Amino acid sequence: MLNPTRVSQGLLAWIEERIPVQAWIAASLHVTIPRSAHTFYLGGITLFCFVVQGTTGILLALYYQPTPETAYDSILVIMNQLNFGWLIRSVHAWSANLMIIFCILHLLRIVLQGAYKKPREITWLVGMGLLFLTLGFGFTGYLLPWDQRAFWATTVGTEIAGAVPFIGDFVRQFLRGGADVSAATLTRFFGVHVLVLPVALAGLLVLHLLLIHQQGLADPEGDENE
Amino acid sequence: MSRESEPAAPREPDLLPFWPHYVLSEFIAWYIVLGVLITLAALFPAGLEEKANALQTPEHVKPEWYFLAVYQFLKVASVFASLGSEAPRLTGILLPAIGMALLFFLPFLDRGPKRPARRRPLLLILTILILAVVIALTVWGQYS
Repeated sequence: MLNPTRVSQGLLAWIEERIPVQAWIAASLHVTIPRSAHTFYLGGITLFCFVVQGTTGILLALYYQPTPETAYDSILVIMNQLNFGWLIRSVHAWSANLMIIFCILHLLRIVLQGAYKKPREITWLVGMGLLFLTLGFGFTGYLLPWDQRAFWATTVGTEIAGAVPFIGDFVRQFLRGGADVSAATLTRFFGVHVLVLPVALAGLLVLHLLLIHQQGLADPEGDENE
Repeated sequence: MSRESEPAAPREPDLLPFWPHYVLSEFIAWYIVLGVLITLAALFPAGLEEKANALQTPEHVKPEWYFLAVYQFLKVASVFASLGSEAPRLTGILLPAIGMALLFFLPFLDRGPKRPARRRPLLLILTILILAVVIALTVWGQYS
């Protein structure tokens, strides 16, 4: 006779005998934080926004078509014909803005509480990397709808990069994949947005969290004493 | 007794368990943000303008809001034109770049042991000043 409770317990024990999953979970959860630490949940909310972006982004990528001829029409289909397509795309757009806002608020919290000080310098550097990647997400994602606002914001944005001394022309050409914003730009922005940046951000994020777990939260009332 | 007069002696902080206390309140924060997201998305759905047309420049071309400060500063930097024809472009790009570099290496520039901002007035003033300039440039960029 199969008893569901015994089967699941047996399965868990079978796994636990081979890889200590429960010990990993216990080690990651059973840590302490200083009573005086006030995170205001800013970093965690940024993480939540990233999870929302991953989920809604995958759903959008199933219907979006990254060519100048079809991109705009595929957005129209998402907005007008797919069930809840408008909701998924609107949440993706709002969550993108909130993610950047909470990144900045999180950074301000770390600055004002002096949480970047020894021994947390590496966590800070990784966090700055995460901020740049998030801005990269915003920059590349903005072009994808291929409407007038997207096209001209990208034209202006790559123009700013082109103002960099000495390497400006090269950077602008590299970003656009040519002299102007074109099909080549859309293809590489899409590739960077859905492949390069997610992998890079996920990697840095794991490192960020591991460092926080290893060192614990800084006590804002205590001075650097490690 | 003012805190400043005390010697910076190491002390044991009071500790709280991460699980379930902190995790629960973090989840509540996430739940509220999810509600805010869906409300914003329902009330103000993502818009879509005319299809991109490389031959027709719209009247008000702007980058995303988080790049507006740099964009506006690049435009404002034309006041440095008296220093040479390349001066506006150089200052307009280099000053924000240097600012970002300084922020990037902040832990190595500020190596004092004091943590709370109220005991580091210089940092507090600098933060407020930089924030005010960036917000002003962003608003200016939005309405110009």
